Amino acid sequence: MKNYLYMLALALPAEIMADWEVNMPRGVTPTSEIAYDIHMLMFWITVVIGILVFGVMIYSIIYHRKSVGHQPAKFHESTKVEIIWTVIPFLILVVCAVPATKALIMMEDTSDAGITLKVTGYQWMWEYEYLEDGVNFFSKIDNESNRARRLNSGQNVNNVDNYLRNVDNVVVLPTDTKVRVLLTASDVIHAWWVPELGGKKDAIPGYVNELWINIKKPGVYRGACAELCGKDHGFMPIVVRAVPKMEYEKWVTLQKDNRVAETKGN
Amino acid sequence: MTNLKKTYLSISIIVIFMFSFSYMLVPLYDIFCEITGLNGKTNQEKIVGINEVNTDRFVTVKFTSTVAGSEPFNFNPMENEMIVEVGKIYTTSYILTNNTNSLKQITASPSVVPGRDAEYFKKIECFCFTQQQINGKETKELPLQFVIDEDLPLNTKTLILSYTMFNTTDQLGAK
Amino acid sequence: MSANIHDIHDQHHHTPSGLMRWITTTNHKDIGSLYLWFSLVMFFIGGFMALIIRAELFEPGLQLVIPGFFNQMTTMHALIMIFGAVMPAFVGLANWQIPIMIGAPDMALPRLNNWSFWILPFAFTMLLSTLFFDSGGPAAGWTLYPPLSLQGGNSMPFVILSIHLLGISSILGAINVIATILNMRAPGMTLMKMPIFIWTWLITAFLLIAAMPVLAGAITMLLTDRFFGTSFFTASGGGDPVMFQHIFWFFGHPEVYILILPAFGIVSTIIPAFSRKKLFGYDSMVYATASIALLSFIVWAHHMFTVGMPLAGEIFFMLTTMLIAVPTGVKVFNWVATMWKGSMTFETPMLFALAFIILFTIGGFSGLMLAMTPADFQYHDTYFVVAHFHYVLVPGAVFAIIAAVYYWLPKWTGKMYSESLGKLHFWLTTVFVNVTFFPMHFVGLAGMPRRIPDYPVQFADFNAIASVGAFGFGLSQILFVYILYNTLKKDVTADDKVWDGAEGLEWTLSSPPPYHSFEKAPRVE
Ligand SMILES: [Cu+2]
Repeated sequence: MKNYLYMLALALPAEIMADWEVNMPRGVTPTSEIAYDIHMLMFWITVVIGILVFGVMIYSIIYHRKSVGHQPAKFHESTKVEIIWTVIPFLILVVCAVPATKALIMMEDTSDAGITLKVTGYQWMWEYEYLEDGVNFFSKIDNESNRARRLNSGQNVNNVDNYLRNVDNVVVLPTDTKVRVLLTASDVIHAWWVPELGGKKDAIPGYVNELWINIKKPGVYRGACAELCGKDHGFMPIVVRAVPKMEYEKWVTLQKDNRVAETKGN
Repeated sequence: MTNLKKTYLSISIIVIFMFSFSYMLVPLYDIFCEITGLNGKTNQEKIVGINEVNTDRFVTVKFTSTVAGSEPFNFNPMENEMIVEVGKIYTTSYILTNNTNSLKQITASPSVVPGRDAEYFKKIECFCFTQQQINGKETKELPLQFVIDEDLPLNTKTLILSYTMFNTTDQLGAK
Repeated sequence: MSANIHDIHDQHHHTPSGLMRWITTTNHKDIGSLYLWFSLVMFFIGGFMALIIRAELFEPGLQLVIPGFFNQMTTMHALIMIFGAVMPAFVGLANWQIPIMIGAPDMALPRLNNWSFWILPFAFTMLLSTLFFDSGGPAAGWTLYPPLSLQGGNSMPFVILSIHLLGISSILGAINVIATILNMRAPGMTLMKMPIFIWTWLITAFLLIAAMPVLAGAITMLLTDRFFGTSFFTASGGGDPVMFQHIFWFFGHPEVYILILPAFGIVSTIIPAFSRKKLFGYDSMVYATASIALLSFIVWAHHMFTVGMPLAGEIFFMLTTMLIAVPTGVKVFNWVATMWKGSMTFETPMLFALAFIILFTIGGFSGLMLAMTPADFQYHDTYFVVAHFHYVLVPGAVFAIIAAVYYWLPKWTGKMYSESLGKLHFWLTTVFVNVTFFPMHFVGLAGMPRRIPDYPVQFADFNAIASVGAFGFGLSQILFVYILYNTLKKDVTADDKVWDGAEGLEWTLSSPPPYHSFEKAPRVE
């Protein structure tokens, strides 16, 4: 059924489809791509198993009913058959486990990272710290969404640009660079998640977690906190802007200059 | 009837055992963390009798810090990054500033990334072994002496040490 | 055993009437009915909360509730549905059915049985009353993860006390089930001749006594962390918040099977009855149930792949979780083989059982996908997970409970329900359950996190559909209450053997069965 809807969605014009997104994004990093591939592999395996099992079941419902005069058979066990349908699923699982294990080994290898981004979760915003470049700032939901999201705000959220998906300070990352992301939190557990950049990881107070991303395509990628962290859990979006390395260097210099200006101003 | 009593008895034993088991999971979990390096926990007691060795192998150690609960403190590493020789003893420190006007007590919880290499990050002296006290408006240097164990896997080239600082002033009166 | 029968006889001679009858009753049928009615009430309370959630999520923007209250609703909805609706319903079915299916006069521990029920109304009154506290009820999710749950208001100790009471009630219920099944079977009924429903409940009861004390331990630690200065779960005192998740899910995963194994038993009873063919692979059904139960103790960390486990841990928990698909698959194949070449009819219980097989299997498929750690990093804590566990719990556990009620209601009451109304109830429920939960797969995959009161506009359409489905589903259940009322009011009596294909000792009794089910133990050949 899911697949059928998916096909249906493909047949619709792109503008309409934008609101009817039904599948995991393939994303723009090696980790998001492999997650997508394994997701699709498992999806098709379950579709095939589903068609076979439900097919037999529906055939049986149609032809082996009392109202068509079918007499019940007497059999109620068969060791051979039972062994077969224990072993075959087991073998299918082994086949799935191999690529999944390989993927995990790849995903957990954070070595040789180019830059390190430290992300700290707060109730309810994020702090970003570029360990090598000495840049750091807080990032929280943009004012427009924040006003519109209030109970009875009287604002139509459909008119808000990127409602609940926009922040005041965007994270800028270079493309084609292995970025090691360190995750921790100041108060409660949060989880940092940008679907198109791959999976999420928990940000846990007192401890540091890590994941890595390597963005292949420049663009703006949006995500959100994915672990219940209190009343405004739904309102701590993440925006990552991926730019070519050169542009990233420029951005870093600009940030540092701004910072110097700020301290002088004080 | 005796059968029935036997059943109650054995079930009650399972129930009591499983309740205690939940508490037994606490030390078991610590052992589990130690073996697997979960959460990058490091030694919380002084390591004594370390002999320096020459390995000619250099790795990068990065330092970072977090202030829990957005408390009014500044807490930062003295150096953001050090290139260290594996097997040699190094000293660095963290700088702590108390922005309030009163005596405070803090504790710092360490965490090493990658977690699986945490066991090779050996601390000889660390401000994180005990609670630290700091007067109002005072700035303090908190020393840390460490050695990277020579058994550190060869493919590890960078280690990151993070401290999270917690305000534990409410425990001050209790002690 | 004979002493027990005398106890029950004595009580029979001075049974009080009216309300006191229900408060003091030690009769397994009375207590079974109390459990089932209680569960129905809780199902509507928890359902009402679900409708508040779905009403808020009908369109983007906040229209009805503030985020803090929304979190209380998601937390309470889960606690009420798990501990108040599904578990008591299964215990109610166990109370009604175990004695009459194994040829016993009553449960082994009638007084304990009375207590284990009457704890529940007090526990839930306390739990629900926290919603009226100034600081509100629990809002950290039913999983009570610290440090967030430690931030909660004054409600926290009351919530923990009520969960303790629920745990005690379940453990007492489980002790009773085990004692009854192990000691009070009719002569000749060896373990491998027990009805499959009895088998699944026996295994469930063992899961309960192994898992509930662990939950008790975890929440006691939370309580002492908050009020008595321990720091099991706070990093500032050398504790670790992730440890709570390990302990919690060590309970939590077996709990998942506590909620589904009796459902397997029910479906394995109903499918053969309406296929007029014996259950295919009885032995492998028993072994599959037992292996699912055993595996449930070594897969817990698949609920928390994103906490940053060591690689070996991620691989281990992925493989063990995938392994559960094997015995679960055996069960589904056995059900289909039972139907194969049978002589099927489609009365209401059968319809619910068939829908169970298809929809539970869909929930199983998404479960298998969730087991794959690399993909789970994307699925985790999204609506895909919400869709998954609602598929296994609503068209899974809840459908099985409804099927069981239709199947045994004529036996319990001696009156036949209206088949046409039952079928209408089935079709409405099945259509709306899918309208509610299927779109959740899509929004989850597209990136909508769970437990959020508001969402970006791109998720609006599927959320609106899900909300419409939820209201349809909720309203359809009013029909169920009407059907029950309508049945109880009738004076058309049901046959002793209500279903021509049904097997088992319960059908040898009158409908309704006598007060002491089997005064004389039957012989099973
Ligand atoms: Cu958060």
